[in-house]
Amino acid sequence: MSIYRGNCLRVDLTSHEIRRGDTPENGIGGRTWNSITLLRELKAGTDPLGPENILCISVGPLTGSELIATCRFIASAKSPLTGYLGDSGARGFFAPELRWAGHDQIIFTGTSDRWVYLWIDNDQVEIRDASHLLGLDITETTVKLRRELHDPDLQVAAIGPAGEHLVRYSIISCNLARAAGRTGMGAVMGSKKLKAIVVRGDKPVKPADPDRFTRACAQLKSNLEGHRDFEARRRYGTTRIMDSLARMGVLPAYHYRSAVFEDLEKVNAEALRRNHVVKAKSCYNCNLFCSRYNYTLYGEGEGPEYEAQAAFTVKCGNSDLELAVGVSNAVNRLGLDCISTGEVIAWLMECRHEGVISDADVDGIDLSWGSRAALLRLPKLIARREGIGDLLAEGTRRAAEKFGAEARKLTVEVKGLELFSADPRGIKGYALMNAVNSRGGDHFRGEPMIELTDDEELALRRVGYREAAHRLQDKGKGALVNYTEHLGILSDSITICKNISCCMDAVDFDLAAEAYSGLLGREIAPRALWEVCSHVSQAEREFNLREGLRPEEDTLPSRFLERPIPDGPSKGATIDIQRLVKDYYKEKGWNFGDRSHNLEIP
Amino acid sequence: MIYCDVKTCAGCRTCEVTCSSFHSGAVSPAMARIRVAKLEDSGLDMAVACLSCFEKPCLECPTEALSVGERGEILLDDKLCNACKTCVDACPIGAAGFYGDRPLFCGLCGGEISCVKTCPSGALSYRADHRDLSLHAFLPSKGNPSERRAQYVCVQGEPIRKSWKNGARVDS
Repeated sequence: MSIYRGNCLRVDLTSHEIRRGDTPENGIGGRTWNSITLLRELKAGTDPLGPENILCISVGPLTGSELIATCRFIASAKSPLTGYLGDSGARGFFAPELRWAGHDQIIFTGTSDRWVYLWIDNDQVEIRDASHLLGLDITETTVKLRRELHDPDLQVAAIGPAGEHLVRYSIISCNLARAAGRTGMGAVMGSKKLKAIVVRGDKPVKPADPDRFTRACAQLKSNLEGHRDFEARRRYGTTRIMDSLARMGVLPAYHYRSAVFEDLEKVNAEALRRNHVVKAKSCYNCNLFCSRYNYTLYGEGEGPEYEAQAAFTVKCGNSDLELAVGVSNAVNRLGLDCISTGEVIAWLMECRHEGVISDADVDGIDLSWGSRAALLRLPKLIARREGIGDLLAEGTRRAAEKFGAEARKLTVEVKGLELFSADPRGIKGYALMNAVNSRGGDHFRGEPMIELTDDEELALRRVGYREAAHRLQDKGKGALVNYTEHLGILSDSITICKNISCCMDAVDFDLAAEAYSGLLGREIAPRALWEVCSHVSQAEREFNLREGLRPEEDTLPSRFLERPIPDGPSKGATIDIQRLVKDYYKEKGWNFGDRSHNLEIP
Repeated sequence: MIYCDVKTCAGCRTCEVTCSSFHSGAVSPAMARIRVAKLEDSGLDMAVACLSCFEKPCLECPTEALSVGERGEILLDDKLCNACKTCVDACPIGAAGFYGDRPLFCGLCGGEISCVKTCPSGALSYRADHRDLSLHAFLPSKGNPSERRAQYVCVQGEPIRKSWKNGARVDS
């Protein structure tokens, strides 16, 4: 069914031709449009870094509206890291500006013969020369563009040196540190020789039924402000997760060798706030302002979020928080994904610890746990593919092929995408999400946060199983992951921050339907939104199957299946991933082992 | 006038959303009478609206369409305005907006001020005692309005940046 059809800009970078059209008719914004576009238009087997790959950037009808934190754009293409669907969202202020400029989706095809950036000033759209921006990091690129175009308020989404050098986990970033980080969308942009997208917009977003829309906005605000974690999240943002995960016993210390990190209080949220946080930072129209600006000996910047904080401390066995924050800033500027970069470094450290590789294998860089040299030098080498960086820029799966079978056993990725900073054995819903979701090893597709709440009433209401409220239970996890997957697609279409919609359970399909109905001025049923999300979930699966996905790949790294968590509060926890995956397939109506799943291309 | 504490402002731009929505029922920062300058590479955020400054260079309106209200706010006589933008170009801190064919000045909502009410960080407040604030240091105006806002915030943020360098942190 058609709920909202937006304006689509088609930019052919080979011919430098720009055409205007419509977004797909059967989506609701953001990720739904992108996934449908890719399934329809991308030929199977396309080289992700070749001119035939298609890069879609979408916002949605609700982006840049009065609804809190409708601040994300979704970038999608075939992933150069996984070979399957790639997509990632970035918060900040770029997406609302694109919406105010009157463009809902941009589809980039082809490859330019020289480096360019796309200039969008409302209806005026031009491809401009970017040769003077080459080699600049994301901060330098953004600052230079704003200066030379005489507008400090311009919104810029750019790639850094990592994207230019086609690092398979490079990012597209706006507002200096707001990244579409996962699955290497920066490399796809780099392969098209597109350095940046610059946008200025001043068209209003006006709800057709203001009373209804305002009520939905007020409801969301109240859900958010009434949440039991509101004050803690406002104070610490996602960095508070570190203490929670330590209490649960699922920290990935020393690359998952221990769930206990002895210097936790030196690197946790409170240490960060006390030593490095100088002020709160916010995304567009949000009252949580959970981000932070940091000041360190190694420079300053926005962040880190939990994932960067944990990746460069606990996971690498590093107790020097100042160093970790500095590395996070540098990784953002270079245009690398913090999660994948941290995982590459931590994995190398474990390989060295196990004697699988030696320092000599990585250009003589000290790879002992917490090594300052490794943390400072490797991101720079990776971003410009210098020395060993050229191999590491390929991601852990490809790099492990070079280092051999023993190194392969120590990798922590699913379908080629590196995992987050938590131990999946002690959080079954997250484990399942990592195993089955459509972009590979990733937790943020839809956060099965309910399993961390012990709130059985909530679990019953949302997914029909009380047991789903408990992280170590298997029962109900198929339903939980299916629900949060739908909620993730919905969030990626509303383009709302998932920390709010998913992690804080502040948005459900009823509220979303009210917001869509109020904005569009006609009745949109919650069920209709759910059906669009189901349809897109199937479309993404079909896309991946077409690219050769085998259902056996819906699993976790073997190290988690062979051994229990060795120590800490979740000591002894094991995971039966096949049982969980079967439960999920049952929810989806998929036949385990049947490659076709009887899917229909929309 | 509306005062923004540069130390507290998180740069969420909720004030712009509230303002444009209050005046037009739609969201577009270009329609807002308050604008947030975000100096991302120095971490500074600050909302800028008319400060009802001592100099009031905007009043050099060739058609005399502008006057000063009871609370120091700038009032526009729509019938006299010919959209020449003299006032917009005169404001040294880029606090006069322009949308469609009319300049935009913060009129303090004619009562309860909506952006102050909705500011989630508490950075915004109304101060009746600030009427004689001088913007002499920023005159004559250089650059376009958004550049002037950025320059103003850069100067306002200097002491904060210095305090960070000297070890001040969010809770100190």
